[in-house]
Amino acid sequence: MESFALSLVKAVPALSGVPMWTVTLTAMVLTAAILLVFALTFGGLGSYVLRKVAGDIQVRIGPNRVGPYGLLQFLADGAKLILKEDIIPAKADRFLFILAPYLVFVGSFAAFVVLPFGVGLIASDLNIGVYYVMAVTSLVVVGILMAGWASNNKWALLGGMRAAAQIISYEIPVGMAIMPAVLIAGSLSLQDIVRSQGGLLGVFGWNLFHNPFTFFSFILYFTAAQAETNQTPFDLPEAESELVSGYNVEYSGIRYAFFFLAEFGDMFVVAALATACFLGGWHVPFFHAEALPAFWGNLLSLGAFLFKAFALVLVMMWVRWTLPRLRVDQLMRMSWKYLVPLTFVNLLGVSLWLLLFKGKGIPQMIASLVG
Amino acid sequence: MTRPAEALPTQEMLINMGPQHPSTHGVLRVLLRTDGEVVVNARPDVGYLHRALEKIGERVTYAQFMPFTDRLDYLASMNCNCAYAWAVEKLAGIEVPERAEYIRVIVSELNRISSHLIAFGSFTADMGAFTPFLYSIRERERVNDLFEDLCGNRLTYNFARIGGVSADLPPGFLEKTKEFLDYFEPKIDEYNKLISYNKIFVHRLAKVAVITAEDAIAYGLTGPNLRGSGVRFDLRRDEPYSVYPKLDFDVCVGSGERGALGDCFDRYMVRINEMRESVKILRQAIAQIPEGPVAAKVPRVFKPPVGEAYFRSECPRGETGFYLISDGTGNPSRLKIRTGSFVTMNIFEKVTVGLMIADIVAVIGSFDIILPEIDR
Amino acid sequence: MGLKQYINDIVEAVVTTAKGMRITARYGVDASEEVTQQYPEERREPSERFRGFLHNDVARCTSCQMCIKVCPVDCISLEAVRGADKKFVLASYDINIGRCMYCGLCVEVCPTKSLTHTSGYEKASVNRGELVLHFIHEDAAEIKARVAKQVAEAAAKAAEAAKAAEAVKAAANPAAPDVAPAAANKPAPAEPQAKEKPESEKKG
Repeated sequence: MESFALSLVKAVPALSGVPMWTVTLTAMVLTAAILLVFALTFGGLGSYVLRKVAGDIQVRIGPNRVGPYGLLQFLADGAKLILKEDIIPAKADRFLFILAPYLVFVGSFAAFVVLPFGVGLIASDLNIGVYYVMAVTSLVVVGILMAGWASNNKWALLGGMRAAAQIISYEIPVGMAIMPAVLIAGSLSLQDIVRSQGGLLGVFGWNLFHNPFTFFSFILYFTAAQAETNQTPFDLPEAESELVSGYNVEYSGIRYAFFFLAEFGDMFVVAALATACFLGGWHVPFFHAEALPAFWGNLLSLGAFLFKAFALVLVMMWVRWTLPRLRVDQLMRMSWKYLVPLTFVNLLGVSLWLLLFKGKGIPQMIASLVG
Repeated sequence: MTRPAEALPTQEMLINMGPQHPSTHGVLRVLLRTDGEVVVNARPDVGYLHRALEKIGERVTYAQFMPFTDRLDYLASMNCNCAYAWAVEKLAGIEVPERAEYIRVIVSELNRISSHLIAFGSFTADMGAFTPFLYSIRERERVNDLFEDLCGNRLTYNFARIGGVSADLPPGFLEKTKEFLDYFEPKIDEYNKLISYNKIFVHRLAKVAVITAEDAIAYGLTGPNLRGSGVRFDLRRDEPYSVYPKLDFDVCVGSGERGALGDCFDRYMVRINEMRESVKILRQAIAQIPEGPVAAKVPRVFKPPVGEAYFRSECPRGETGFYLISDGTGNPSRLKIRTGSFVTMNIFEKVTVGLMIADIVAVIGSFDIILPEIDR
Repeated sequence: MGLKQYINDIVEAVVTTAKGMRITARYGVDASEEVTQQYPEERREPSERFRGFLHNDVARCTSCQMCIKVCPVDCISLEAVRGADKKFVLASYDINIGRCMYCGLCVEVCPTKSLTHTSGYEKASVNRGELVLHFIHEDAAEIKARVAKQVAEAAAKAAEAAKAAEAVKAAANPAAPDVAPAAANKPAPAEPQAKEKPESEKKG
């Protein structure tokens, strides 16, 4: 942020008279606003795409009445939610009830800070990037538990408890599955991880193809992340047909919209992390985005990053509409008995590989053999 | 020193799975006492859809009661119509022409397919897989189109009459039915590939709510619920009526193929396999149907002789029986309806002990109950 | 659980998931599979035998009341008066389609086939009164009054005709005394005026 502020001052000479902290503050607020707009737009358009994908898979047309091809459906939904009556159950814990959606949204939105959107497009390239994301997405658990408890509704309570158990259990496989990428890059910073996948190998520089263990890591990460974001087959906390929406059940109007947007935000964060760590982040195949002039480099890399992230989100939606949901004890079993041991074994495998082959992946070794 | 777990005070939760619930297949209320996620006692509370059909039966004439049998099990309306018609014919000793019997069998089996499609679709939707429901509805719409051509309605058909059926098959009906069967049979394999053998789905249902054969018979279960526990009993085979003796089909029973015999998965697979058998029956019936009248001559003012009769037929949800007492007048003196879903609820409390809340939904779906049948 | 079972579980999960995802992908990509009919722009033509709203061709209706007797929910009601030619004249014929269950029993028993099903099914309204279809558009009381007048006129004419015939007969047979004069002079018994048929109640 400091460097961004400095570059702003350099670019606009009129600002040199203004004290530094004002410029920095404005820069921060501006970035946050841009990210918020992005998150909200993604939430809205994401819901539209979700319904359209659902329609396609379910041999029907999704929304197509509001606007061309139904594109404005999410605006209509948003307007409806905002205009709804704000109902707070009589015996609910008012303060916690009102606070919960904001905590959940913050838990998902705060992770946007370290997502590497482009060559120089990152709100803040923290040197503990991955660790920060893991830490901050845990706020979601607190929010959901609050929502479940404060609703004064047994169904919501059950949903909240399930959600807490689920999210906490799946954080371990998520963290363990990201570790190989960190080990290969040698740094927790997401920009470093992305840069480590660059080079002339193009697509094969991605961590996905580095060695078989990172390939499995990607799949394990994707599975565990699907559970983190409460998507079917792991959507037990908000199981529509059992708990009638679980912890969401007493929420209506804009409060519900926050939960909903937080879910989509989480989906994007997870997809973005997977892109950054395994699919080469903002690297454009056969292009050296860093070498291009700043504007074009940023634009191209932003495009590549978003393309990859959206593709992963689409895959998540595809899985969502195919599979039934797991029961809560099966969910726990899957996490602790399957994903955790597998990710540990994977981590061990990657570490051994890096030790034996001095950090080179299969494509690198082939490249060095060939020329 | 560690505190033993029993010393921790815990409380049972009383959760009301109310009449309004997405997965109770109607307005069923279940009072759940749970210890966390594990169910200690689940008591069903029925009656939210009671419409006094049996009392209405005493007020209207025999012919006028036919539309009410539509609404007894609206997803298997033809089966209920025909069951009532057979009961009245047994009471009055009316002989039904053969073509009418074949037509009744054809529409009953078509309706069995469409009823099992809904059972399959809504069950998988309750389990969280939303897509198979849409596919089954798509198939069901084709059956509804056939029925609309035949009798004019898409859900409550009022097709059978005392002595036969209300109208002959329209031209092209048998060809269209054959087309539907050719289209539908491969779809069953598609459903199996998509969801039936999916590991998550199997895991949800295997070994859940196991009902032994002895229990099933003792509690009076019928239909796919009974056959899912391995009891090879089908009224069409064991107490044959109408033209079923001339038709060749297998009785599908559960085999414990994934998990235990008599679990939810077995009952589910029995329904899937029954759809295949119904296709077989339909092909034979279409080939064998003779020409002839479609209704026997029944007096306009129909007064059956004094007496009583009980007739039971194999409906998709079990055995539907009509018990009629006639006092010689035009209205029944007593019309009692025995439905499969109502009797199935007897075993609900026993079978849900120790299950988790998510399993309650699986159990309700695997029993394939429908509330109008339970509450009448 | 042994290692073999463990690996088996994982492999089975992946394989069945992949099979399922292949099917949904095929449907997802193939837009021609969509079966939605965009109502109200695309409408399905109901079949020939479709049991839509009822319609009574009152010109053919003979007020036999078979439809009322057979209706399970008493949704039809009519008023009729006997006209001058001894045939019934419909004063009103109402069907409450909010009550009707479209079972088709009334159409089956109608002897003149004046009662038929149309293919209409769209009449949602916010007012239950709108759901009562009236097939006689004149006011019932007016019709009854008119018919009563006709009957009275006919009775008067018949009485005159009878008197004229009497006179002719008396003129033709002067020598035939006592030809049951009381019987000849007895006026034709007039039917009671507005003989209302028992009407089934018309609940709104």
